Amino acid sequence: MSGTIFRGPLDGGLLIAPLDEFTAVYHRASGITHLLTEPAPQILAVLGEGASSLDGLLERLGRDYDLDDGTREALAARLEELVEAGLIERA
Amino acid sequence: MDDIELNQDPVATAETDTGVPSRRRVLALGAVTAGMVVSIRPALAQTAGSVLNCEIPVPDPGRAGSYIDADGGVVPARTKGAFPPSTRAFKGEEVKRAMASGSTLPGTDSDRSRAYVKYIRRLQRGQGGFTCFASLQMPRG
Repeated sequence: MSGTIFRGPLDGGLLIAPLDEFTAVYHRASGITHLLTEPAPQILAVLGEGASSLDGLLERLGRDYDLDDGTREALAARLEELVEAGLIERA
Repeated sequence: MDDIELNQDPVATAETDTGVPSRRRVLALGAVTAGMVVSIRPALAQTAGSVLNCEIPVPDPGRAGSYIDADGGVVPARTKGAFPPSTRAFKGEEVKRAMASGSTLPGTDSDRSRAYVKYIRRLQRGQGGFTCFASLQMPRG
């Protein structure tokens, strides 16, 4: 998985609205709305700046946040959830 | 409604007036018990009958003959480790059952079924079977 690059939707592909505990994300391509909890919005925000590897993403998140359980395995599991939801893809 | 840019992180690190980040926020990457994503899909079909009888080809006719890899991606025919296309379209009811219970799609083993279901979950508007797939997501009643 270390060489895998993850990519978010193209510019303008998402409409994002923070709603207190949740962040609502409308995915234009599929017409599906997702309600996200942390750390999904933060991961999407980083991938919105450009595609990234797992390690790159972990490093980037670590710059902005104190990561709790900030392991590659934990992040890989979160990325898998986002891939399953169709919000990101493996490039 | 105004578009909100992706990079406007709603929970960006707080900064003080001096521009120096104050105490950094903790972001937990570990197990999320309730799931991190809840998806709300459009209910396009009006009757249960149409939902259950609609069909989802794997892959869609525009990519007929292509294989499906384990992640549900569409890959060139005969790609190693990928699965051949389904010989027939699946009924909405079959897909709904496979998604709800984890049972396999008819005529497939578990690995192949899992790949096909991932493909179906990734369907987007304009692709064959999307409307059927989206219709399956209506609240259970």
